[in-house]
Amino acid sequence: MKSIKRCQLVMTLFLLVFLICLGVLTARIYKDASFYITHSENYRLGKVYDRNKDVLFDGTNKIDKPVDYLIDVGNLIGDDKGQMENTLVSQNISKLNNYTFNNGIENKNGKAAIYTTLDHEANRAAYNAFMGADGCIAAYNYKTGELLVCTSLPNIDPRGGYVGIENMKSGTLMSKALYGTVPGSTQKVSTVITALEILGQEGLYAKSYSCGGYFINDTGGKIDCHNSWGHGKQNIQQAVENSCNPFFAQLVQDSDMPLESIIEMYTKLGYDVNRTEETETEQEYIDIDGIQCFKASTTLTDTSEFSTQWGCIGQGETLVSPIQLMMWQSAIANGTGKMTMPYLIETVTDVNGNVTERAKTKYSEQIFSTETADSVKQILLTNGANHYQYSIPGYKVAIKSGTAQVKHGAEENALLVGFVDDESFPIAFCVVLENKYSTPAVAENIVTTMLNNLAD
Amino acid sequence: MKKALTYLISCVFVMAVHGSMLLTVYNNGKYDSVNDVITLSAAVILLDAVYFAIMPLFKQRTYAVDFMLLLILNMSMIFQSCFGGVHFDMKHFITMIAALVSCRIGFMLCRNHRWIQTKKKFFWAGIGILLVVIFLFTGDRSMWIDLGFMSIQPSEFIKPLLVLACATSIGEQQNRHKVGEINIVYDNVIIFGITAVVILFQWWCRDLGSIPTFAAIYASCFFMRICYPKAKFSRKTLIIAGSVVGVAAIAGIILAPAYVKARLFADIWSNPTGDGYQQTKALISIAEGGWFGKGPGYGFLHEVFAYESDIVFATISEEWGLLFAIMTVLMLLLIVAMPLVNPPRSYYHGTMCAGVCAAFTTQMALNIFGSCNMIPFTGVTLPFISAGGSSMVTSGLMIGMIVAAQSPVFTNPKKSKKKGKQKRRTV
Repeated sequence: MKSIKRCQLVMTLFLLVFLICLGVLTARIYKDASFYITHSENYRLGKVYDRNKDVLFDGTNKIDKPVDYLIDVGNLIGDDKGQMENTLVSQNISKLNNYTFNNGIENKNGKAAIYTTLDHEANRAAYNAFMGADGCIAAYNYKTGELLVCTSLPNIDPRGGYVGIENMKSGTLMSKALYGTVPGSTQKVSTVITALEILGQEGLYAKSYSCGGYFINDTGGKIDCHNSWGHGKQNIQQAVENSCNPFFAQLVQDSDMPLESIIEMYTKLGYDVNRTEETETEQEYIDIDGIQCFKASTTLTDTSEFSTQWGCIGQGETLVSPIQLMMWQSAIANGTGKMTMPYLIETVTDVNGNVTERAKTKYSEQIFSTETADSVKQILLTNGANHYQYSIPGYKVAIKSGTAQVKHGAEENALLVGFVDDESFPIAFCVVLENKYSTPAVAENIVTTMLNNLAD
Repeated sequence: MKKALTYLISCVFVMAVHGSMLLTVYNNGKYDSVNDVITLSAAVILLDAVYFAIMPLFKQRTYAVDFMLLLILNMSMIFQSCFGGVHFDMKHFITMIAALVSCRIGFMLCRNHRWIQTKKKFFWAGIGILLVVIFLFTGDRSMWIDLGFMSIQPSEFIKPLLVLACATSIGEQQNRHKVGEINIVYDNVIIFGITAVVILFQWWCRDLGSIPTFAAIYASCFFMRICYPKAKFSRKTLIIAGSVVGVAAIAGIILAPAYVKARLFADIWSNPTGDGYQQTKALISIAEGGWFGKGPGYGFLHEVFAYESDIVFATISEEWGLLFAIMTVLMLLLIVAMPLVNPPRSYYHGTMCAGVCAAFTTQMALNIFGSCNMIPFTGVTLPFISAGGSSMVTSGLMIGMIVAAQSPVFTNPKKSKKKGKQKRRTV
């Protein structure tokens, strides 16, 4: 009998090992089924909503709205087709997982969703205000970080598919607010911040330079002013309001502004300084809920040389994304010198409707002092009061305009960065209107339209 | 009277299970014409009824394994007939009947261990003949012989023969011969040699999936032989044997050819349409099916190669749900675990059952865990569930051995020859 028990023991061993493995397999399938299902052709994602529960994406393709209804946010929200990678849906596919193993693929009541901070109506209004011109606009709550508007032209409503993709206008499949653009004179805000940090408020206000319509620097380079008659002798406030290039060229060349200090301050602001082919490092990004936002870059090699001065004025090789321009405004508006980090996802719900993620306001490290923040704020508010009171009516705005020369000077883009100085309506914004002379659209009108819609 | 009642209840239970499955097919299945469901139902119920009627003709101590075998076979018939839409799978029906017949043959052959153990030389010869057939007809990269109207896999038939060759009696293990300073049981040396040759042949014809099954059959027999004659397992011997196997496994992995290593460490999700195509599709279909499945005929896996054999576990999971697929597997396990409930009455039958158990569990593991990417995918069949005549017949034969172990006869073959009549004694 003992010998037969031995046979049974061998059998038990085989059966036991098999049963344990079967248990492991079952647990593994249960755990990983959500991953397997993402490779299924029958897999359907959940929904993406705006802040007012308007559907911006539906994994079941059942948005019963007119054609082009989503054309204002199409290239930001994206879809799961794989044509646009740097979008909310592409970068957050797993959060839209509307599948559980318990219910199988036929689950029709899945509640997986992303509730965004976007205001679809304001986006649409801003989109329309471009009047068909190319460009982009971004706006967020500089106290909380909620990204409210982020529209870009040209754009696409992904529901219509990608037929004729090869004939689409350049930039259609990317939200331009996330990518680098020549900032024009909006860059002068960074230069003012840098000067204040190096010279202090008194030191900077003590400086004054003359503008005769152009400036020949120490190395013989010529910096032209947009006003060929010149602005005469100006202090920093006047120079910002006049957006005077010779003033800023002279400020950068000033012996009290050492190159190392400028580079250090620009780096602190988040610029990738002197990025060349030889020293090429991996492009850095600002993460906005998985979406990558281009980080600024510029060239600073010699303060008496044209390209460095031209870069500090916001032309040449300097590139900044509109979102980052807007973020610097938040550090000024809050008076803290810390940027409020933008976010797009307010809450995420799982397949059962339970909230699995909730946004929290985050701030950057201190990039400049509170004194600098106050000084820049005052300069920009004065500029807003003196020059934009009528073009952006009803709002106390701190603002800086810019004109970026692109395509080797063949076209000029209009830019506006700023914020509304109102505790109850804390909006920072940045707008880029491309090839401004080819369109009846005006940057100020776009901002006003957007602010009016957000205020409503 | 009590036995008759138990028999009747078992019949009703089996028919109720099949009936409820057929009702599910009728209510939730995908079919063009209800005639397809009726034909399938008629075939299943008829086979149940006929087998219930035939079974009592064979005098057995218990019919539990037979009931479970019929239960699983007709479940398999329903599964196979529903893949991709309800139809009557005539080929599977025929192979299923072949499995039932071979089970009876296995039972008749093996119930008298005194007689069968005198036939070992025939099993060795049988294995030898099959190896020659493999050598002559399958080629060095194939495992099939194409007869035109059907294909057969000769290596499948080696499995039951190896189980029988490995089975041993206490008396046989006492038959030692002194060679130098060592006592040797010739049978142990022969069976080691046979297994080694079989495995080498499998390697040669690239039927890698069968190698672990042969190895497992041998391992079960080796366990019992190395521990003999003590009535307990010799720890020292087990540790040495385990260490040798471990070292051999590690050396095997290190020295394995590139294509074997690629299989062992493949990331199927990095290239879902490449080498891992079947496994990724299998896992996706299991995920789609969830616990309760999409419904008979509503799966997509039937469009993938070997859906009815190598990845059949996933195909069932998709249409019937993982829960049902696991229950089916457990039912299969229960059949091979029956000797734990009704112990074999002789050591020979015990070793035979252990061999069958090793073969079944290993083959099931290779099929299920391989198709689900837990272990390398080798493409072997799931006994009784996968389509394939060779597998059906040999699996039936091996289950017949388990039936025989539970209803054995003990007759001296020589005496019976003299008397011209076998004296049957049921224990």
